Amino acid sequence: MLEVTGFSAGYQGNDVVHEVAFRVDPGEAVMIIGSNGAGKTTLFRAMCGLLSSSSGKVLFGGDDITGLPAERIARLGMRFVSAERHLFPRMTVQENLLLGAYPGRPDPETMSVVLELFPRLAERLRQHVGTMSGGEQQMLAVGRALMSKPQLLVLDEPSTGLAPLLAQATYEALGVLRQRGLTVLVAEQQVPLAMAFSDRGYVLENGFIRLQGTTEELAANPGIRSAYLGVT
Amino acid sequence: MIANILDGIVLGLQFGLLATGLTLVYGLGGVLNLAYGQMAVTSAMMVAFAMDAGIPALPAVGIGLLAGGLLGLFLDQTILRPVYRLHDEPRVLLSLLLTLGVSFIVDGFLIWRYPLKALTLHIGGGAVEILGVPMRRGSLVASAITLITFVALFLFFQRTTLGRAVRSVIEDEEGARLVGIYPDRMLRLILVLSGVLAALVAITRSMVTPVNTTSGLSITVFALIVTVVGGLGNVAGALLAGIILGIVSVVAADLIGSYISLIILLGAAAVTILIRPAGLLGVKE
Amino acid sequence: MSKRLTGATGTSLIGGTEARSSRSLPVLLIPIGVVGAALAPVPLWIGDSRVLMGVAVLGLAFACYAIGFNVIFGSTGQLFLCVGALAGIGGYGAAILADTVGLPITASILVATLAATFTGGLLSFIAVRRSLGVIFTGIVTLIFTLSFDALLLGLSDLTGGDTGRLIDSGAGTFLRDQIPPYYLMLALVLVFLLIHGLLRRSHIGWAFRALRDDEVAAELAGIDVARYRVYGALIGAAMLGLAGSTYAFTEGRLSPTTYGFGQVDVVVLVMLAFGGIGTLFGPIVGAVTFTIVDEILIEFGQLRQVAYGILIIVLFLRMPRGVIPTVASLWRRVRGLEGSEDSETTDSATGNLEVVSAESHSAE
Repeated sequence: MLEVTGFSAGYQGNDVVHEVAFRVDPGEAVMIIGSNGAGKTTLFRAMCGLLSSSSGKVLFGGDDITGLPAERIARLGMRFVSAERHLFPRMTVQENLLLGAYPGRPDPETMSVVLELFPRLAERLRQHVGTMSGGEQQMLAVGRALMSKPQLLVLDEPSTGLAPLLAQATYEALGVLRQRGLTVLVAEQQVPLAMAFSDRGYVLENGFIRLQGTTEELAANPGIRSAYLGVT
Repeated sequence: MIANILDGIVLGLQFGLLATGLTLVYGLGGVLNLAYGQMAVTSAMMVAFAMDAGIPALPAVGIGLLAGGLLGLFLDQTILRPVYRLHDEPRVLLSLLLTLGVSFIVDGFLIWRYPLKALTLHIGGGAVEILGVPMRRGSLVASAITLITFVALFLFFQRTTLGRAVRSVIEDEEGARLVGIYPDRMLRLILVLSGVLAALVAITRSMVTPVNTTSGLSITVFALIVTVVGGLGNVAGALLAGIILGIVSVVAADLIGSYISLIILLGAAAVTILIRPAGLLGVKE
Repeated sequence: MSKRLTGATGTSLIGGTEARSSRSLPVLLIPIGVVGAALAPVPLWIGDSRVLMGVAVLGLAFACYAIGFNVIFGSTGQLFLCVGALAGIGGYGAAILADTVGLPITASILVATLAATFTGGLLSFIAVRRSLGVIFTGIVTLIFTLSFDALLLGLSDLTGGDTGRLIDSGAGTFLRDQIPPYYLMLALVLVFLLIHGLLRRSHIGWAFRALRDDEVAAELAGIDVARYRVYGALIGAAMLGLAGSTYAFTEGRLSPTTYGFGQVDVVVLVMLAFGGIGTLFGPIVGAVTFTIVDEILIEFGQLRQVAYGILIIVLFLRMPRGVIPTVASLWRRVRGLEGSEDSETTDSATGNLEVVSAESHSAE
């Protein structure tokens, strides 16, 4: 479904991400793991149209979407939940969710699915987003992205700023969505969380993909084990 | 005193609607449109020309509103193109300078060619008594139209998908893009809307007092004052600030003098910038 | 090599760069002398016409205003949209002091200049205290200008309101003759140039450049940005007040349009944008050019405003640093002395405008 090749991107002429290549097939859960500063956010932002890339290609569903602006890519079925979430603070939970379905009409069925998944949101429908906790905002960010019934959900470090229980709950919700057929690509610093969730993964270090494989393969890799899993 | 307050409310509603156009464009697009007054005046002149040509009042007004919208579209498609490539402070600066240039071009031409032209819409009928004060029908009709417009704007922004989409761009542009909203299309819409609002205010103002070709600069100045006091990008703030400043303006002019009244309004804007730059209802960043 | 020619202040034809600040005074005096020599013979050509001499004197006044604004905006990046108002404090202040209060002319000019200086410094102080950005500084100073205008109209007993007032003091002296005022204003222009030139070479000028290039870095280097901004405003406002008050006595009558926003601020902005913001001789180039152009176009009356509007748009889109620097760097590029350094942002004032030009072109 998603195929990225030879992809480089960065800021003001300096590439942060170099010649990255990976793929996500329909129905899969793929993770991109790496420590802080590895370039995960830059990669995702460039891929989703918020940043321009310096080289490489991004194919989504067979179509070349390289260089398209974020708003166009969002309409093609790939929805990005960024680390900063970018919710609409002075609008209510309900309004945020309704906007998630843009430009289409909000589907009441989808709305009830999302609210079923995140019951806390259902309680706070009329509340202004700015007054909600980090965990609730994260749920809303994911819920908003889901309102458009995307084919691919891309998440940048969904566990950021969340207490462990909440991060766990978020991944559980993603797991439920996976079972219903959603394809997910996630960038994560907290490797155990990502590994419990994903089928396959890539390791990003200093802007380069150093390793790839199934979760089992990566988990068994001694380098990974010492660097990311704290096993010596 | 009551007469002053009622007059102030009439003026204030106009101030508020006027500022709404300017504040929306700034809040959504980060663009300061100093040619705003000229947009209002040009639209009013279109109505005047149409009526001179024998077109009845209502269609003529329609022409004026259309002209306002087209002027907004024109700005978006031409002068503001280079501005859109910038962000934040350089964007505001350049938009300010370029629209200032546009304001000169329009003013220079209009005042040269039609120095004495003015638009006046007579609303027939005697005075109507409100709270014991005889109010001219023109003022009442103008206020009614302005109020209806505010209600329509409220419904648009709160109840429609498009209106929500516009608000979302003001809230968080990147978030809006991530749900598939095109910020530049929204800005274009808002610029057209601001042109229509400018035209509407000029037209309703002409029901109270003549609007002539030299009014451009003062319209922009008043719009700017109310916008600043209400909070940049804040429509409810614009309305509130408009009414307050309208009342202050009329009361001060009556009690002290018209020049002092203007200085007070200017002072209010200055004090707002210095003490609470977010404006009356703005959100502190 | 090219760095030394362009300097950190944006291209300036002649004038201070780091490397030259150690050079002696003649390097500064010679070009100023050339300007003086070039402008001195003007009365020989047009001295017969009272009207034309009046235009020339006004042109020199504008040159003074432009230099003052250049010090405030070009040197410290404060967008003071109150050039006319500060000059007006000088002009109206001196006129009222001389006529109504009865001070001698020199004392009136002095006091009025001090008032303008104080006002400029106060505005700057408020702006830095409240950390107003460029836009809000512009709005606040614009508010000041509009208030000053309203005040002039309101206090009509003192100021003559809309019609203005005549100035009795100085009537019958050389101040009202046809030619001497020209040399008086020319002397002011040359003195202002000298002050600005010396300023650029001094440690104050070095601080100005530093705070323009990168305010944060300057603060970290120990430069009190706020203080230097106020210094810049004080000096510039002093120039504006002095020029405004001197001009008032040579003109003999004042009205709100003598120092109005549309008549002074806008014109000075265009002159400086044309000549080159932040350069030493930009104000002269701009003032001379536009005084001549304006006079040539005088028949078109109101239509000239259209021309100014078009000019503002073209200037700020295409040549944000001004004609002189743009032509100079084009010339240097032609001669192979520079690479792509022209698009480097320099001071915050022209820096913002440079960002404008560079970015609007990169997408073309």
